[in-house]
This record gives sequence, C-alpha cells and structure tokens, in this order.
Amino acid sequence: MAVLADVERFAAMGTRVELHRFGEGDPAALAGARRAIEAVDDALTIHRPSATTVLNERLLAGQEAAVDDPLLLKALVTIDEAHRATLGLFDPAADRRLGAAGWGDILLDREAGRIRAATPLALDFGGFGKGFALDLACVALRAAGVRSACLSAGESSIAVVGEHPLGGGWPFAIPHPLRPGQTLLELELNDEAMSISSTVGAGVDAPERAPMIRPGYAAPVTRRRCTVAIDRLGARAEAMSTALIVADDDRAIRLLSGRPNRNFLFDLSQEAAMPVPPSRMSLQ
Amino acid sequence: MTEKDFDLTRRSFIDRVLLATAGAGMAAAAPWAGMAAAAEPAKTHPVRLGVIGTGDRGRALIQNIAKTHNCTVVAICDTYPPHLARGQVLAPTARAFTDHRAMLDAGGIDAVVIATPLNTHARLCFDALDAGRHVWCEKAMARTIADCGAMITRAKATGKVLQIGHQRMFHPTYLNALKRAKAGEIGTITQIRASWHRNNSWRRPVPADATDRQINWRLYRDSSAGLMTELATHQVQVGNWFLDAVPTRVIGSGSLCFWKDGREVYDHVALIYEYVGGRKLIYTSLLNNARYGCEEQIQGSKGTIEPELGRIYQEVPAKVLALQRMQKDVTRGHKRTVPIGGATWFPELPVTTPGESLGWGEYGETMLQFEGFGEAVRAERPLPGLLAQAYHASVASLLGEQAMDRGQAMSWPTDLVAI
Repeated sequence: MAVLADVERFAAMGTRVELHRFGEGDPAALAGARRAIEAVDDALTIHRPSATTVLNERLLAGQEAAVDDPLLLKALVTIDEAHRATLGLFDPAADRRLGAAGWGDILLDREAGRIRAATPLALDFGGFGKGFALDLACVALRAAGVRSACLSAGESSIAVVGEHPLGGGWPFAIPHPLRPGQTLLELELNDEAMSISSTVGAGVDAPERAPMIRPGYAAPVTRRRCTVAIDRLGARAEAMSTALIVADDDRAIRLLSGRPNRNFLFDLSQEAAMPVPPSRMSLQ
Repeated sequence: MTEKDFDLTRRSFIDRVLLATAGAGMAAAAPWAGMAAAAEPAKTHPVRLGVIGTGDRGRALIQNIAKTHNCTVVAICDTYPPHLARGQVLAPTARAFTDHRAMLDAGGIDAVVIATPLNTHARLCFDALDAGRHVWCEKAMARTIADCGAMITRAKATGKVLQIGHQRMFHPTYLNALKRAKAGEIGTITQIRASWHRNNSWRRPVPADATDRQINWRLYRDSSAGLMTELATHQVQVGNWFLDAVPTRVIGSGSLCFWKDGREVYDHVALIYEYVGGRKLIYTSLLNNARYGCEEQIQGSKGTIEPELGRIYQEVPAKVLALQRMQKDVTRGHKRTVPIGGATWFPELPVTTPGESLGWGEYGETMLQFEGFGEAVRAERPLPGLLAQAYHASVASLLGEQAMDRGQAMSWPTDLVAI
C-alpha cells in the first residue's frame, strides 16, 4: 500500500527548512511544526528585533535581564546544560572587543528567569537554534499523531521522528566535503537528530559565511575538520558537533569516547595538499 | 457590450474594490477607494464636466467618464483644432471651445477636467477654481513644486474640490496587493524596485499645422520633466503608498544617452528614494529597452508583490533534491540511502516560481476615480487622503529631477503645503 507523504518548505533560521511527513497524523501537523520553528526563529534571531536582541542589549550594557520569553529561557537552560556536557567548548557567548568573554561569565537563574554576565557580552546561538527549533517541531509532530517524519534545516541539521516509513532506521550518507561524489560516513537515525559541522567544503565558501570562533579567544578555527553528532535532541547534537570542531585533541578524545558511534570527528588536515583515501582519515 | 453586460462588469469591478478595501488598516490606507466604490451614485443630475485638452489622454478620459453613473461631459476645449474635432466625435453633444476662459464664462459646468501639457496645469487650475469650478487634473500636478502647493492653497481658499488623476489608487489589484501587504503576507517591506522601460522614441509625429513643442511637449523642459512627471509620478506614488511614508531624500542620475534627437529631457533616469528606517524605492526609466516594462517590485522579508503582473510571491526556498528523491522512493515502496549534509548553499539565481495571482478581470479604475470625483463634487468635499498622495508623488518626481540636474542628494522639502 502506498505511503501518504506531504511536505512543508519554507525559509527560517537563516536557511531553508523542509518538513517531510509520512503516514498518519493530523492533516495540520506540518503547519503546526512550521509554526514551532518560526516561533523559535522569532525568539532567537539576532538579525531583526527579538527577545534575544533585547537580551543582548542588556548584557552588552552590563545589566541583568529578565528573560520573559519562554522559548528563549528554555534555549538558555538547554545551552547551560550543553556547555557543561561539552566541557565548556560549546559557547554561544562572545565579547566583540576583547574576545575573552564566554558562557562561563554568565550567571543564569533558571527559577527566577534572570540572567546576567560578569563582563559585557552578547549571545549568538548559531546552528544551535536550528537543532533547538527542530526539537520543538518534532514535539509538535508527535503531539499531532505523526509517527514518521524527516526534518531538515539547511541539510546540516536533520531530525527524524520514529522509524523510516518502510521500517527500520533512516539511512543517510554524508558526502565528503572535499571530494565530490565520495561518501564520508553512512549511518542510520531512529527517532534522533543529527548535526554536521565542517570548516571545509562548499558550505564554508558560501557568501557571507562567518567562520567558527574558538571560545575564549575570538579567533577563527582554522583546523580542517568535519564533525557529526547524533543525539535524541537536535539542540544537544548541534552543541556537540560545534564543540568537536573547536576541541583540542585531548578534549576531542574525551567527547568522542563518551558516545562511540554517535559522535564523529574527521581530521581533514592532510587533504590540503593532496586528497587521501578515506581509510587514512581519523574516524572515531 | 450591452448595457446589461456593462452593468454586470461594473458591479463585479466595484465588488472587487469593496472587497479589497475591507481589510484591516485599509480604511486608513485607501479611504478614497472604499468611499468611491460604496457611493452607489445616482444617474440623475450627473455632474457636468468640461474637458480641457482633447489629445490622446483627454479623449481616453472622455471615454471613461462616459462609463460613469454620475458624470457627463457637457463641454470640451482644445487650442489645437484637430484634437478638438476628435473630441467632438466622442462627445457630440458637448459644446466645443478653443479658449478655456470662454468655456468657463459660458457656464453650465460644475467641474473641469484638465488633460493638457504639464506646464499649463497650474494656470488652468487657478482659472477654473477662481471661476467657482471644481477641478480634476491629470498627474503630475504641475511643472514646479511651488505650483503644486499653490494649486492646493487655491483649492482650499475657494472651497472647491481638487483631485489629481492617479488611477492606481482605485485599481483592485493594487488595493488587494496593499491589503495583503498590510496583512503581513510579504513581511516587512524594506525595498521597492520600480521601473518603466519602453523601447520607442516617445516622440509623436508632428502634423504640418502644428509645432514639435506643441505635439511633443513631453520632450522639452519648459513644459515637462519628461519621464519623471509623465511616468515616474505614478510609481513613486505607489512607493509612498506601500511604504506608508514620504521619502526623506533622493539621489539620482539622468542622461540623454540614446535618443539624441534634439529633445531636452532625459531618456534614462535612475534614482534612489530613501525612506525612514533605511527603506528605499529604486527607480529606473528608459526608452531603449522594454524587457522589464512597467512594474513595481514590492519586496518584503517574506515575499514580493508585483502588482502590474498581478502576482504575489512567497519566499519559498529551493527544494532539497535528496529529500525530494527520498519522498518519491517512499511513495513507491523503495528505501534508499539519502545523501545529506553537503553544501548548504546554492547559487543565488533569480527565482522563477510563478507565484499566486492577485486577481485579474475587467477593470475600470479610471471610471471609478471619476465616480469618486463626481460624488466629491456633489458633496463639495474631496475624497479623503487622495490629494496628499498625489501632491507627495508630484513633489517626489520633481525633487528627483532636481537631484539629477544638480548631481546632489535632495532632502524632502520642509515647506510643503499642509493638506
């Protein structure tokens, strides 16, 4: 029997979003998931007035701020946990003048919904926002009775609801960022989210693309890396893939060993002069 | 078309205008249109019009006036006999004059319609108002910003209605476009790109009994600002209307770079009108390339409206091909690995999706603006909001001319007449 399928495509979170639903569920499920993503976009964007820009103005002025927006507060709490889980490497806080500020300067009172920083700084959620938004979209889809769906935010943030509509996991192949036509990694997702980060490849060459910043130094990451992180939550996957990009070797090993076969780091530094076979790359 | 068919078409048109003006915020954005459409004008005792200028535009107006329920042409006037003769064919019962003062003195008219060269608008308007007649005048209002203001001052002093011809303000597609923009369908409007591109000389053949300046008055600076007052005025009005503001300043470049045939006005104009908040109207008009024609591209954060094409476009990103293939695989029972996570950007070529129609049909916006004028004359009260739109559009077009002539940014005048 044919599987019913529908799709919602739109621009949000600074990228193109696609929501593919298969099989049962409320006919309005995709619209609800879209609203969930757009609500996150409205709350977390720094490219137009939002709860986050209001917060940043307060933090940059060295003032304490009340976080009234529930989505922003939820995001901040999730970031606080992700910061610890990634050994402090996932850090959306930056000080444009000195570069030394970071999430460690933040004091977040979850219960009171208040935040302040020891030094003036601002928050830029970057890819975390995509994973966070996909998480809320998945919640909306499940609540609407959807049991099988695939969500993409810019193709580097993926989330799936349930199993593949034909059974089993959702099979994905991640292309090699430097070798057209070659695959870097094949894996399956099952009711999970995946985040892919890279400092090389076509995506990095995109116009106006900002480089990944090393926390605490305000310096761009120059290592040639591609990382993949899989988690039940997209927000955590985003934090992990970013942390792996900026991690030094010791901390990278600690992060990778905690979740084998779910976190991956590809060192592509030898690819600069001459491409090498995938078998010679460091694959965790 | 039979009279019954015409009435049905007219009813359909009026209904579309009423529907378009019923949206949130529309009463403030286009109060004139709803009022004109809702008037249900009686056919008895129509407003008697004297048309000054029976050239191409004047005759088109006579034909539109004939469609109205509340206006009739009882007199026509033109200084050029062949034009007057053609006008008489369209209005055979109207009295014909070669001197507008004689027409005014003869009496029997409630209002005049001015469709003459731009540099004569102000003088004809003053004479009509002083003679106790209401005035409908073609856009642009006048050759100078000062004269535009003086026309308003004179209308207020005489207590007569002054209405300027901007038919887009009565056009259901434009009204529907504005309604949908106000409903947030295209997000925050930050830029409008407008153009009026033609590929012809814009020069009319000159009969043996006329002079070039008489027939081609649009090409000479003493009688016209060329593309700015004859074409741009319409689109600058649309820009002001959709951005709900007047410009703060304008910069521009004008040149005579193709039709070097003795004309004085630019055949290429390119201007940027700035509005508060960094918003812009980018305008170009030229006479040797027609590919992009006449259009206003109203650009918001969520979509674009192109009212001349009658279409609204949503900002829908391109499909992810791998996911599209996955969906097709699933629907035919095939499971295959999905390549994902590659390049997350794609070449930013123009989007060619067809968008959605804003609605087409038989339109009579020029007819409706005369019905609105007729009701305004009967009430001796102008349709609200209309004159301010026209005044600001004329000022902006003339200010654009100054910016190009002087090669410097021109700030919005601070001494304009209050309406």
